[in-house]
Amino acid sequence: MEVDSQEQLQRKQSTYLSLDENFEIQKEVYRGQQYSQIYFARLHMMRTLLYSLVPNWKSHLPVCTVLELKEGKECIIFGTLYKHMKLKPCILDEYSKERSVAPLIKPHNFMHQDDYLVLEDESGRVKLGGTKLSPSVYVTGVVVALHGKETSAGAFFVEDVLEAGLPPQIKRPLKSREDKYVVFVSGLSIGRSSSNPLQFQLLVDHITGHLGDEEEQGLAAEIVHLVIVGNSVEISRGLLNGQNLASKDQSRLCEPFKELDILLTQIAASLPLDIMPGSSDPANFALPQQPLNRCLFPGSTTYNTFRSCTNPHCFELDSIRFLGTSGQNIDDLTKYSEAKDKLDFLERTLRWRHLAPTAPNTLGCYPFTDRDPFLIDSCPDVYFVGNQEKYETCLLKGLEGQLVRLICIPRFCETGVAVVLNMRNLECHALTFGTQISS
Amino acid sequence: MATTSKNMNVFYRQKKNSSASTGKKSTKSPSPKHAATFGSDITQPPALVSHGGSLDLKDDFDEQEQVLRQFDMNMAYGPCVGITRLDRWERAQRMGLNPPKEIESLLRGGKVKLESLFDGRV
Repeated sequence: MEVDSQEQLQRKQSTYLSLDENFEIQKEVYRGQQYSQIYFARLHMMRTLLYSLVPNWKSHLPVCTVLELKEGKECIIFGTLYKHMKLKPCILDEYSKERSVAPLIKPHNFMHQDDYLVLEDESGRVKLGGTKLSPSVYVTGVVVALHGKETSAGAFFVEDVLEAGLPPQIKRPLKSREDKYVVFVSGLSIGRSSSNPLQFQLLVDHITGHLGDEEEQGLAAEIVHLVIVGNSVEISRGLLNGQNLASKDQSRLCEPFKELDILLTQIAASLPLDIMPGSSDPANFALPQQPLNRCLFPGSTTYNTFRSCTNPHCFELDSIRFLGTSGQNIDDLTKYSEAKDKLDFLERTLRWRHLAPTAPNTLGCYPFTDRDPFLIDSCPDVYFVGNQEKYETCLLKGLEGQLVRLICIPRFCETGVAVVLNMRNLECHALTFGTQISS
Repeated sequence: MATTSKNMNVFYRQKKNSSASTGKKSTKSPSPKHAATFGSDITQPPALVSHGGSLDLKDDFDEQEQVLRQFDMNMAYGPCVGITRLDRWERAQRMGLNPPKEIESLLRGGKVKLESLFDGRV
């Protein structure tokens, strides 16, 4: 980019559209409802969808409910999976008289070889047998269609499974784009004793164009958006033990936010930014997490480029759809199932068309009555998850020509790595910031 | 234990005359209201009938409530606990389940209980 050194470098821009309405709970009223309502909504939506896919799968078989199963009759049933897990912590274990199998120290993964799957719909539930459905892959809350028959033991022998598969994707206009970049960063954990403020300051300086020569600044001018994917602050545990804080401790409570606000103000003055809450941020615990309060950011909220968003977060930039979470959904899947890497979990949630299938079973969730907001209706172009151990990415291709860029964003305070995505071709690379001075 | 209304009349004769004589006339011909509370031929699950100890003649068992209870119990429209009947009807409508229109007009009519059958009991 040839730029006259007298002129100011212009940052590129892109049109932004927020699609977070589904995740907002201001209009919801709690009337003492239980989670059965959200499971009903999920089962109904997914069943209608799976029912439309069955003719292409196995059109000759009859469909029946769980109660209508007859021994030896081959049929298709729809329902929600439930995984019975031996090691899953249960509140009743504290009251059992004998020593339970579960160890006192919580393992990071609760799987056991004796885990089995059960399929449940409104009429009843049936234990699933056979080797087609592996309990290590599935979790409670996934809605599937199963082909099989009831055995004499009363279980359902599964011959084949139908998952919903990748949702349809809206085709993007193919006009040749210019290079525009989106930067993702997560797990800043400001307030943690091991977090290095210089690293994030370097990131801010790079994005705002205060670092490097004109060529470097030219690259920075092509960054159109920044997304901060959760866990921006970390409040030390000692301050949160439930006791009244002395006045000197109260200021210690606010320090991480003041520091974050100063940094965010520098960014917001330069380009649009979205900040999502994470598990360690001061937002509600249950998904969907609501946007962080504007009062926490007195400096940044004066800019209209600053947006506080929900977790999960869905938005469109130049009609490219982005969808992502701060990591709670994938971390929960890691605890209750296994895969070769985190990208595998991401792919599974897309194939099941549900962002967080373990909600509300093991993941905190608001008891919606009329809908399940985590259902994915339209395939995103970019699907990201924050606060993971390392940077991983891959391009997922669907059967109907869908193309999704899957991104695992690592924790910045531990790795110093941010992720940069090129909106033109959905290519991704890592941006690493180090502050070690080599001797 | 199916006691017929005849036996109940005999039972009442043994009670105090004053209440029995006035009570007898209304209990002779078993109307649906009383049939429910006195364990008659019409089988009625006990949970659906509650009179909290006192025999309230204008109790829950009127036709409109019966229709609404069938709507509550219908599995196709989802669970009924924790959601008002009208909200449940609207949710079923939005999901394309085609709930009967009479239920909606009944609920918007106003004289019926808007909360489901299990409201306050579960």
